[in-house]
Amino acid sequence: MSDAQHVPGPLAGLRVLELADDKGQFCGKLFGDLGADVVKIEPPGGEATRRVGPFLDDIPHPDRSLAFWYYNTSKRGITLDIGTAAGRGLFKRLADEADIVLETRAPGTLASLGLDYESLSGGKPGLIVCSLTPFGQTGPWRDYLSSDLGHMAAGGEMASCGYNEADVPGAPPIAPGGGNAWHMGGHFAYMAIMAALVSRTVTGRGQYIDCSIHEACALTTESAIANYVYRGETLIRQTGRHHAPAEGPRTQFLAKDGRYVCALVAGRLNPKYVLELADLLDASGYSHDLREAKYQDAKVIADATAHIIDGIVAGFIASRPAEEIYHAAQERGFTWASVRAPEDLLADEHLRDRGFWKEVHHPELGRSFVYPGEAAIYNGSPWRISRRAPLVGEHNVEILCGELGLSRGELSVLSESGVI
Amino acid sequence: MSRPRALDGIRVVDFSWVRAGPWATRWLGALGAEIIKIEWPETERGRLPSSTTPHGMEVNLNTSGNFNDTNVNKKSLTLNVRSAKGLAIVKRLISVSDIVIENFSSRVLQKWGLGYDELVKIKPDIVYVSMSGYGHTGRNHTYTTFGPVAQAASGLTFLSGLPDKPPAGWGWSYMDDTGGMYGAMCALTGLYHRNMTGKGQHIDQSQMVSGVPLNGPALLDFTVNGRGSKRAGFPPGNRAHWPDTPIVNNYRGATVAPHNAYRTAPGGYNDWCVIVCGTDADWRKLVEVMGSPAWAAEEKFGTVAGRLAHQDEMDQRIEAWSATLGKYELTERCQAVGVRALPVQSAEDRVEHDPQLAHRGMYLELDHPALGRHKVQNAPFKLSETPAYNHAASPLIGEHTREIVEGLLGFSREELRAGFEDGTFWPTKRPRFAYMEDMLR
Repeated sequence: MSDAQHVPGPLAGLRVLELADDKGQFCGKLFGDLGADVVKIEPPGGEATRRVGPFLDDIPHPDRSLAFWYYNTSKRGITLDIGTAAGRGLFKRLADEADIVLETRAPGTLASLGLDYESLSGGKPGLIVCSLTPFGQTGPWRDYLSSDLGHMAAGGEMASCGYNEADVPGAPPIAPGGGNAWHMGGHFAYMAIMAALVSRTVTGRGQYIDCSIHEACALTTESAIANYVYRGETLIRQTGRHHAPAEGPRTQFLAKDGRYVCALVAGRLNPKYVLELADLLDASGYSHDLREAKYQDAKVIADATAHIIDGIVAGFIASRPAEEIYHAAQERGFTWASVRAPEDLLADEHLRDRGFWKEVHHPELGRSFVYPGEAAIYNGSPWRISRRAPLVGEHNVEILCGELGLSRGELSVLSESGVI
Repeated sequence: MSRPRALDGIRVVDFSWVRAGPWATRWLGALGAEIIKIEWPETERGRLPSSTTPHGMEVNLNTSGNFNDTNVNKKSLTLNVRSAKGLAIVKRLISVSDIVIENFSSRVLQKWGLGYDELVKIKPDIVYVSMSGYGHTGRNHTYTTFGPVAQAASGLTFLSGLPDKPPAGWGWSYMDDTGGMYGAMCALTGLYHRNMTGKGQHIDQSQMVSGVPLNGPALLDFTVNGRGSKRAGFPPGNRAHWPDTPIVNNYRGATVAPHNAYRTAPGGYNDWCVIVCGTDADWRKLVEVMGSPAWAAEEKFGTVAGRLAHQDEMDQRIEAWSATLGKYELTERCQAVGVRALPVQSAEDRVEHDPQLAHRGMYLELDHPALGRHKVQNAPFKLSETPAYNHAASPLIGEHTREIVEGLLGFSREELRAGFEDGTFWPTKRPRFAYMEDMLR
């Protein structure tokens, strides 16, 4: 596989300047891992996202945040206070060498510093600038402050997630965890920037992109908007399954080992499916009555839905460990899965076959750690983590002196005056 | 709307069905690519079954509201790819296209004779994006997914819920939405790479695998610190931290309080607001908005640590106040002084009551020949020079068959008619829609 080490990623040759906090660091990672040279520009002392845990060995330090590590792979990092004249000047010089500027500052911030698209692209018509902000650059909520939780609320995610009243009485709407508002925004921003890049390969011209995380989240609730627009329906929240106009059969069952299994059965029950289910249960040695002739009648099956789902399927799943159910079912064509905790995935052999897990070296620690890998295998231009997240100001010398030509003396002055 | 668009001149052969694949090509279409959706009514999944057909309207292949929203900006070619003649026609189409995208199970295209090895013979620089449940590589490649299954298997479901309760999971196919995003992202990345190098490639995207990188910090907490997510107080509902459990970061930003959902007036199903105070200064602003009640002045609430330690009491007190206000009023009052509050919004709220989405033109109307005029979801980004927009409602099934077969591929009207008679463009025994009869005249 040594050849693959030398094949560049699909975005090789692109330079991205990332001026981003928690809202945009994931988008920058998407570019970096696909081969772009992403230069992260942080305030002196480091971006605030370095102060978010969990931390290596639970010792807080700007270079030990695992959240920062994860979202900033394959980037180089410099510190620069763009609030100073010297910082702005250096930023402009960097922008002159860049293809893309990705920024997440509050609307108007870059314009007030003379660093907006118009100013930066004056001598560089190919430049693409993307502002990825909570609500976009215009509108009555433009200056509202947000959070991941806030976006999950306003975007509609929470209205669809939670529990049936019978399962958890009085439960609030639930915002799924993991920071997915930033993922949703990052995916759409990546898409928009790539479209601008493709366009640039034809026209030679860049453009400005105003991307809204709120809109990205509002777009990410599957059929909820269509249910309302076409039928006027407001959907209810259900435990571990789809929102719906009215309560429907459950799809999440407790397995013998205390884990859950997601088994999509309701809506699929017909005579053929019942026999396939019987085969699955027989293969596992679980006794049942599904071979009885009466079940070859759709009406009988419909009347026996509760018996089949809450009795037989639930009983079968309760009798075996979740992973065993998962593989036995999938091997027979059932679209079921065990509900894994993140750490369970390290044992997933399919992910290992795909080379999903990556060893990432942290030279300053003399250690390597396992990182999650790629969503998709690019067979002609591989995805890779080219380096661990930058330490604070790690590439100041390399970039400011090596590329912009500052002397070490000038660099010292910038440091002493708080610019870097 | 005659402005240039980013993907003008790009043609996509779209075999995708159900939801994730069509969500991908919808965006490529909004960006200006010509999307040719290959369909076959006998095996179609996406138009039917439909639970979003308007009340009183017949449920048929052309009346699903959700299909319409998911398939704007596309053309529909009905073609029996499983016949030799149909296969030859689709190969002719691929030879004049840039991208092939599909979300079948892992070996379907290969079995049709349209695997990547064959595609490059037809079009050497083709960008082929396969969007299968588990990908084309790996021992479980034959396994199948729907969104909820991909979410369960990838760890996403587990991160949603209250401690000591079953996972609440995601109330919809988040990985259909997100799998679709990755399909479009892969296509664009492959296209850019092709434009720069002249080389196409096969990009093997997996719905289940795409969910795993969305759990990054939780995974690193395990691979680096050895701390798993099966622990007391996890997942912590809407909070950053669950009371009376060890203080650890729970992968949604900083560990702070308040960080929760609170009931608002008049107490309906979606009358909730979320409030997050990231700092003590934020907290003091919230206290002012609440009218500086005596309880909030207690020393124990003055610091993040104190608020985390007394979260239950604090949340009850906040809710006693929040329940007296409507969710939009509460939001406005808080945001006016810089407190991070936002309303829980249903679909109706987003479409009818959200002033920001209205201002940004998120839901603009499009005419559909069967469904009528309805609001459709727009792009969340504004490209200054090549704007993305929805230019056409979803196609009726086979609506563009003549346009593509005659106009693009150069067949004659006689050949088109023959293809309808021999089951290449429509099943011989299936009644044709009126617009199909029209195109054969």
